[in-house]
Amino acid sequence: MSETRQTTDDAQATTDSELAGGASPGTDQPLEVTSGETRERTREEWVEHEFEGEAKLSVSDLDVYYGDDHALKGVSMEIPENSVTALIGPSGCGKSTFLRCLNRMNDRIKAASIDGSVQLEGEEIYQDGVNLVELRKRVGMVFQSPNPFPKSIADNISYGPRKHGDLDTGLLANLLGRSDDDAVDELVERSLRQAALWDEVQDRLDDNALGLSGGQQQRLCIARALATDPEVLLMDEPASALDPIATSKIEDLVHDLAEEYTVVIVTHNMQQAARISDQTAVFLTGGELVEYGDTDQVFEDPQSQRVEDYISGKFG
Amino acid sequence: MASATDTALVSEDTSETEAVAAGAVGLAAVLFALSLASVFELVTITDPVAGVPMVALLGGLLVVLGFAVVTFGVGSRLGYVATDPRPTAGLVASTAFGLVWFVVGGLVASQSLGFGTAGWVIGALVTGGAAFAVSAFPREDIGSTLPAGGLALFAGIVFLTGVIGPSWVWNLGWEQQASFNAEFTIPVLTAFCSLLVGWAAAKAYGGFGARGRHVGAYVLVYLNAISIIALLFLLVAFTVLKGLPGLFNGFAFGAGAGPEVTLVGLTFSLPVSWPFVMNGVALLNDVNGVLPAIAGTIWLVIGAVLFAVPLGVGAAVFITEYADRGRFTQVVEIATNGLWSTPSIVFGLFGLAFLVPRLGNQKSLLAGMLTLGFMLLPLVVITSRESMLAVPDEYRDASAALGVTKWQTIRSIVLPASLPGIVTGIILGVGRIAGETAPILLTMSGSVAPPGSQTVDVLGGFQFQSAPPFVTNPELMQATSALPYQLYSLITAGVGQSSNIGAIDEFRWATALILLVVVLGFYAVGIATRYYFRSKLQHD
Ligand SMILES: Nc1ncnc2c1ncn2[C@@H]1O[C@H](COP(=O)(O)OP(=O)(O)O)[C@@H](O)[C@H]1O
Ligand SMILES: [Mg+2]
Repeated sequence: MSETRQTTDDAQATTDSELAGGASPGTDQPLEVTSGETRERTREEWVEHEFEGEAKLSVSDLDVYYGDDHALKGVSMEIPENSVTALIGPSGCGKSTFLRCLNRMNDRIKAASIDGSVQLEGEEIYQDGVNLVELRKRVGMVFQSPNPFPKSIADNISYGPRKHGDLDTGLLANLLGRSDDDAVDELVERSLRQAALWDEVQDRLDDNALGLSGGQQQRLCIARALATDPEVLLMDEPASALDPIATSKIEDLVHDLAEEYTVVIVTHNMQQAARISDQTAVFLTGGELVEYGDTDQVFEDPQSQRVEDYISGKFG
Repeated sequence: MASATDTALVSEDTSETEAVAAGAVGLAAVLFALSLASVFELVTITDPVAGVPMVALLGGLLVVLGFAVVTFGVGSRLGYVATDPRPTAGLVASTAFGLVWFVVGGLVASQSLGFGTAGWVIGALVTGGAAFAVSAFPREDIGSTLPAGGLALFAGIVFLTGVIGPSWVWNLGWEQQASFNAEFTIPVLTAFCSLLVGWAAAKAYGGFGARGRHVGAYVLVYLNAISIIALLFLLVAFTVLKGLPGLFNGFAFGAGAGPEVTLVGLTFSLPVSWPFVMNGVALLNDVNGVLPAIAGTIWLVIGAVLFAVPLGVGAAVFITEYADRGRFTQVVEIATNGLWSTPSIVFGLFGLAFLVPRLGNQKSLLAGMLTLGFMLLPLVVITSRESMLAVPDEYRDASAALGVTKWQTIRSIVLPASLPGIVTGIILGVGRIAGETAPILLTMSGSVAPPGSQTVDVLGGFQFQSAPPFVTNPELMQATSALPYQLYSLITAGVGQSSNIGAIDEFRWATALILLVVVLGFYAVGIATRYYFRSKLQHD
């Protein structure tokens, strides 16, 4: 804990020096970002969030550039275990970028370069020798639009563990009598139950997943991510492409998942964030984390004027 | 009742005039079909149909049609028929009519009236200009019916009066002694006129205006599509009809009719005897056949596919999934496209100069397989790459987010999703290489008409030995025939060879038919494979 404390102090120091050097009165260009937003300096204490228990993920001083585009600016934040953390903000403010940093999916974007530290249970994930397979097994991800593979429902679920070699169902395994077919069935059922999809699809596990409805597909994607037994589940606007009923199912699901998993969810829907999250982080245009704290506090009594304007719908 | 100024929203039941127009469209379609049939000599123009010679029938129908269309147009202009015409038929139609009548006028002036250059140009300009004016300036109902109907009337009268009769020949007077005879000219002119007049009748049926144009275009497109399909069908039917007698020459069916074969130590007689596909060419054969060429073609295609597909798909995986998109992939793309359009004889020369000397210094099945494999390679690369690019990135992201490695993602997600596209490419490629003659001529061909004993038996040819290279297959190193090559050599072979075979013409057509069947067989296999892979990717 003391170590994370230390990094937070560092973050403060950096921000302070930036404030002293770059944002003197009259030249505070970076803070006057979008028309409609009040000018204001981000204060360090707005993003400090006190909580009991362990931090699952601690991010400090995270900067992301896409080429010359500075998409995330010095973000520091601690995400508690077994809770739901909502990331909100206007579009283009870097929510997805931040989320992708947590399982290093940004590595797949050629233009992106990342600077700073992200620790998963105290272990730095941005260092040499990190096993990306292991990292992404522990930090699962669900995307904005449902993207099941064009395979059967059961194959979608078992895909991850199979490719990791945790399950063996190939021809050879069958011949050698080492097949894990029973384990696969069990895994499929467990994952689908966790994703509240089992009752709807249990009779057609061998049907192609593309035949499911959008909401079902998204829950299948959640089940697929759960099948690798992750600790953290990252969700990037998982309900934005869905109708209200499917959305509320996903919301209920997220709520239930928080008992076992650490969920980080991006949403552009503030009511949704208020309903389902324990703490909320507000990013604003320019890639800054402006406020982070208990969801109730952020929504009822925001410390930042810009956040208050954003939440009350003055811009966004 | 719909009037020229005020169109009713709901048109009433078919009126008599509409029925007349519809009848004219139908008649034009019949006429079009008749003329196509006589182009292909399914009916000769002198044959009597219902007591009237074909020429007279065609001419008579043209006159009736032309008259009907013109009457309809004039009736509409005079207000007897309720239509909804635009002020003009439009520039495109007018120009087309102008050009058609320019040609008609020019031909009549120069060929029938014997005018000199200046004379026919003036005649052509007069008729062309008049047609353009008639089409462009009056209202649409006159403008689109008069030039079309007039042409049909004119053509019909020319046929009926015998100006162009069955024995008419138009000698072009060129060095090459080229000439058009009536057997060809009359049906082609009829087809053209019936298309034009059918279009005009369709417009009339639609009451001119926007709806008329729609119906007119519809009829034109429809007749065109049908005639193209009919043409292709005729082409195949022609080969089948010509090939069947030779193909089933000596065919017998029944217990013990066929030759003896030995399978797993058991010797028995096949229940069918089908000499054309079971024999080669030999002096003592009752009926000669093309078995060596059939086997050669099949093995050739299999070998080329086995060679090109793994290489091509591998290359496509590399340039699509691993190489950075940029100069390099662009160059590869241009190179593969260029290779695919390279003439096959060039590949054949490459095989002759490069492969043959290295593969036992003689023409061989293996050299042919590799040459055709090289020909197939670029298409496999192109289509595989295209279908891999079409696999959505979301799949790759989802797989990566599950911690699955790139290679495993390619193998389990990207390749299965692009298999239907890859198979489509192979189908297209096989269609091309199976019919290639030039590369085979240079790299693989043996004798013109090989005996049955020269049939390649690739599976049975494998020999195992204890010394390197451990497995050999002399069958692969043997020169052999393939169907397109056999066809080519039968056509170009001298009388000596032909007399060996007997009814040489029947034999050639049967060979062509067998080639068609083999290629279609490969298609069927390919399409079934694609269907299988596709059904695994799609729901229902
Ligand atoms: N793959 C990318 N390449 C280049 N720029 C990107 C890429 N993804 C995002 N950006 C830029 O980074 C900024 C933040 O984007 P993003 O994280 O997607 O925002 P959000 O999810 O909050 O809408 C935007 O300005 C966007 O243009
Ligand atoms: Mg986003």
